[in-house]
Amino acid sequence: MDWGKVRFFLSEVRNNFTRNIVMQLTAIGTVTIMIVLLGTFLFTQETVGKIGGDMVRQIEISVFMSDKATPADSRALMLALRADPQVKTVVYIPKSEGLQQMRERLRGQIDTTLLTTNPLPDALRVRIATPETVHAVAARIAKMPNVANVEYQRDAVERLLRLTDVMGKIGLGFIILLVLTAAIIISNTIRLTVYARRREIAIMQLVGASSTYIRLPFICEGFIDGFLGAVLALILLAIGRWQLWPKLLSALPFIPLHDAGIDLGIFALQLLGVGAAVGIIASWISVGRYLRT
Amino acid sequence: MISLRGVTLIYPNGTRALDGIDLEIAKGSFVFLVGHSGTGKSSLLRLLYREQLPSSGAVVVDSIRVDKLKRSKVPALRRNVGVVFQDFKLLGEKTVWENVAFALQVTGARTRDVMRQVPRVLDLVGLAHKSRVFPSELSGGEQQRAAIARALVNNPKILLCDEPSGNLDPVNTNEIMDLLHRINLKGTTVVIATHNALVVDRMRRRVIRLEHGKILADEERGFYHVTTTEPGANDDAGVATRVNNGLGQSPLFSE
Repeated sequence: MDWGKVRFFLSEVRNNFTRNIVMQLTAIGTVTIMIVLLGTFLFTQETVGKIGGDMVRQIEISVFMSDKATPADSRALMLALRADPQVKTVVYIPKSEGLQQMRERLRGQIDTTLLTTNPLPDALRVRIATPETVHAVAARIAKMPNVANVEYQRDAVERLLRLTDVMGKIGLGFIILLVLTAAIIISNTIRLTVYARRREIAIMQLVGASSTYIRLPFICEGFIDGFLGAVLALILLAIGRWQLWPKLLSALPFIPLHDAGIDLGIFALQLLGVGAAVGIIASWISVGRYLRT
Repeated sequence: MISLRGVTLIYPNGTRALDGIDLEIAKGSFVFLVGHSGTGKSSLLRLLYREQLPSSGAVVVDSIRVDKLKRSKVPALRRNVGVVFQDFKLLGEKTVWENVAFALQVTGARTRDVMRQVPRVLDLVGLAHKSRVFPSELSGGEQQRAAIARALVNNPKILLCDEPSGNLDPVNTNEIMDLLHRINLKGTTVVIATHNALVVDRMRRRVIRLEHGKILADEERGFYHVTTTEPGANDDAGVATRVNNGLGQSPLFSE
């Protein structure tokens, strides 16, 4: 290991970094804002997605058999549906059990002793694997033999699916905008450093420094901007997660908010990676453009 | 060592900087490129270290086709070609030692080599005692010595000088020329673009005269002004007369 070389390189990076400290702070601040918003957004989306997922998972397709269907027909249909990969669970509810359940549901509301005959057909309760397929699966079941009727909360499903979709699209646009902003500001910062060091760059090129060697201090500068910005953002996000989030949860007990299932360690690493990558790519483009001209 | 064949250089604005140049410069030679400003001297030098590509023709430096050189191979060429400019191009915030070492460090040289090479070239140019001084505290001649040291620290085979004495007084000019001569004696090919007639006439080396991008004259042991064929004009007395007369036309004294 040639420590002289390392020391020289680090001093080059330090020279870059201290050349225009205000601009560096601007770049770092922008990355911080970007990562805080990005982190908040992803966290919210994940949580809402979980809630939506829970709700969607609770959606059932009720399949009512025709009057002519025998219990054997119902069982056959149940087995057929269980073999369907898009179907998660199928529960067979014979008409007697259906009546039982209805009695329990309506107890205290109406006089259940009035239900002397059983108006209910045999039924199957179907839960599906992915909420997006609910319409298709329901339509398919409706066409099956011995099926009289298929019911499910069509509107609720549709609204929920649309909401998740729109949120995802808005979020994606938002993220792209944020990343672009941060990239442009870092790239401007690097361009200013490049400009401030244009005489050194000219001499490096004159004496035969490789373009990689010329680039490297600037890439490091971009990396530091992105990385420091992300670290600051993580500190802010951590404060939010452990100070504000519990208060929000206790303030909104009726909304089933929870963040279970998000690995915060991996999430933090991903955000750090985004910050560093934006810094590196932005500076790479910036220096590259200068060196080519 | 250097060979140009049918080299033409036309700038985007249409200026014909060089027009069908054929030129051979042997290894270890000491050559002046002379001519008025704008006759293509600097353009020719820039072709040699690939700061500029010719519009047509072949440029060969140390057996390398410079005009066909890939961008990634340019650094290797430049380590073999030292360049010195009229305005020195030293970095103001670095000391003399750092300026010279910089040229080695940015090519990834080992610290051991930096520690060995930098004192060697500073000693060669006579600046060993000023290694910790910043360029702004040096005289013009000393700054040019530092620039020469930087150009030499990579041990180039060729040293290109673009108006090296342009900013220097006659005393410093002579010292720089002596230094370049000594460097040449160590085997480095030296090419100097200048319009300083005094320097050229004093050194009596090969002189290539450019005018309007063409080679007007190419003489061994030449003068700044085109040699006359009058009898006696090129003997010592004739030269002395012409050098004295030339003082009036030299940019050093006329500007």
